[in-house]
Amino acid sequence: MEEIDTSVSKKRSFFRFWNQPKHAAYLFMAPSIIILLFFMVIPLIGTLGLSFFNINIFFTGTKFVGLDNFVQFFHDQRAINSMWHTVYFTLLETPTQVIVGTVAAAALSRTTLFNRFSRSVFYVPVICSLTTSGIIFSMLLDPNIGWIPYVLHQFGMSTPQFFRDATLAMPSIAVMTVWKNFGVTMTIMLTAIQAISPSLYESAEMDGANKKQQFFHVTIPQIIPSLGFCVMTNLIGSMQVFDQIYVTTAGGPEFKTESAVQYIYSRGFSAPYQLGYASAVATILFVIIAILSVSSNLYMSHKEKQMR
Amino acid sequence: MEARTADTTELVDSTKKSNYHRNKVIKSIIFKVIMSLLILIVVFPFLWLLLSSFKYEKDIITYPPHIFSGKYTFQNYIKVWDTIPLLGYVKNTVIFAGATMLISLVLDSMTGYALARMEFKGKTAFYYFVMVSMMIPFMVYMIPLFIEMNKMNLLDTYTGLIVPRATTAFGIFMMRSNFVGLPRDLDEAARLDGLNEWRIFTKIMLPLSKPTLMALAVFTLTNNWNDLLYPLILTTTSSMRTLPAGLALFTGQHISFYGPVMAGAVISMLPLFIIYIFAQKYFVQGSAMSGMKE
Repeated sequence: MEEIDTSVSKKRSFFRFWNQPKHAAYLFMAPSIIILLFFMVIPLIGTLGLSFFNINIFFTGTKFVGLDNFVQFFHDQRAINSMWHTVYFTLLETPTQVIVGTVAAAALSRTTLFNRFSRSVFYVPVICSLTTSGIIFSMLLDPNIGWIPYVLHQFGMSTPQFFRDATLAMPSIAVMTVWKNFGVTMTIMLTAIQAISPSLYESAEMDGANKKQQFFHVTIPQIIPSLGFCVMTNLIGSMQVFDQIYVTTAGGPEFKTESAVQYIYSRGFSAPYQLGYASAVATILFVIIAILSVSSNLYMSHKEKQMR
Repeated sequence: MEARTADTTELVDSTKKSNYHRNKVIKSIIFKVIMSLLILIVVFPFLWLLLSSFKYEKDIITYPPHIFSGKYTFQNYIKVWDTIPLLGYVKNTVIFAGATMLISLVLDSMTGYALARMEFKGKTAFYYFVMVSMMIPFMVYMIPLFIEMNKMNLLDTYTGLIVPRATTAFGIFMMRSNFVGLPRDLDEAARLDGLNEWRIFTKIMLPLSKPTLMALAVFTLTNNWNDLLYPLILTTTSSMRTLPAGLALFTGQHISFYGPVMAGAVISMLPLFIIYIFAQKYFVQGSAMSGMKE
């Protein structure tokens, strides 16, 4: 009898202990934190660890090589080129997407039927995968069946082989990415523009500011934080470009569109399956992205403080 | 004399007004023309894809290209099932993206709830951990993740695909913002009524969070449905591929036939498109939330 009693009270006190918010919180968070630790933090440390090894996908002949992989990177022209291609893509894509998205948001900020319809349409490519977009654009730009070469031809222009042309392939991929993603920027900027208090415009109007002046002196300063956010996320996202390249050009022609992630992927997951070296390249890419994220975060918070 | 001056000013005024009015109309027309052009640029590729997927191969390969064709056929849709295991891809994608969405809704809201409404040791540290996690790209740690999964024999399994994605830092962040916004006295009153913490969360807090849960649901669903690199790395056999991974590989092999590829592309995006039509505001909300900063 007594035994049962103590077990019940033990159970109760156990329950009482974990029902206090300061203890229950850990139970609430445990699954997420464990998953993040196991499938993100540990692999992340693993990337750094692997980059000091010669290790292949079959785990044969694994050897500690110190900094050799990093030294190899600086002598590997294809690896360095892949970094430059990534930067090139980023410089093409980010400004274009931010400008197109912001202008669309500003133009469609008033809620009319036409504007709402336009916004819904501009968001459709966002839900379409980069794979599907890649397939669509490969065909639109295909010299045999595509519309874009045909239309250009009608205007008397020559019809290049967009994805197979060394100079045009990357810009084509960038344009396609803007087409697919500007709806995201538009949505974020729309939220920012609609959050501007109408009284700011009223007082600007009373001061005799015309629409153009209002845009540059009221709208722009008010949306700077969101604009900065879009630039930042876009920069970081573009540095990870992979899907659209994998589907359309697979890095070609002659590796001219090979991005850093594409290079890491093909080095690690196709012959010669060098996981160690691929990890070293991934580490370098991570350092670049981390510097970008941290510095842009610092810059943004500095700007925001200045504006207050 | 006086009357005449008044008349002329009125006349000048009215011409000014009609000028102003005319300018406004012209501007609005120009605006609509430009926007319609942009709509065309966005819609045309989809429309052309959809129509062409019902054309015979010889009608697709015509120069100059045509929007419409005299004859339509289901042949491409039949052919694509024969050439690639599309049904398997659809099944894998539904299981992977669907299960991931459901589990992450539960886990993300639990963690977000704890971070928003409970006081405990190390709260700030956990919060920063989540915020930093949001900035770590998958590409950087995919190789060790692959090795980890390989060692645990989880490659080519649904468990292996679902578990690493069963929570996302962004989802936690989103749910936390949602719970921070709910009135403070709600849980205190419930606690006085003797409800335990789990009940407060499930019976009071979650029902009030339906809009955010919906937004997060479509957000994670879209991300996982469309993801290419992640399933490409964690699956090695054709029978475990998801739609984007399967289609990407198919495109590489069979680009000589356009029709079936187009049919496959249509099938892969149709489910999300249908959901988008009915739940548009939640899609947009997810994107808007991603732009929110504290």
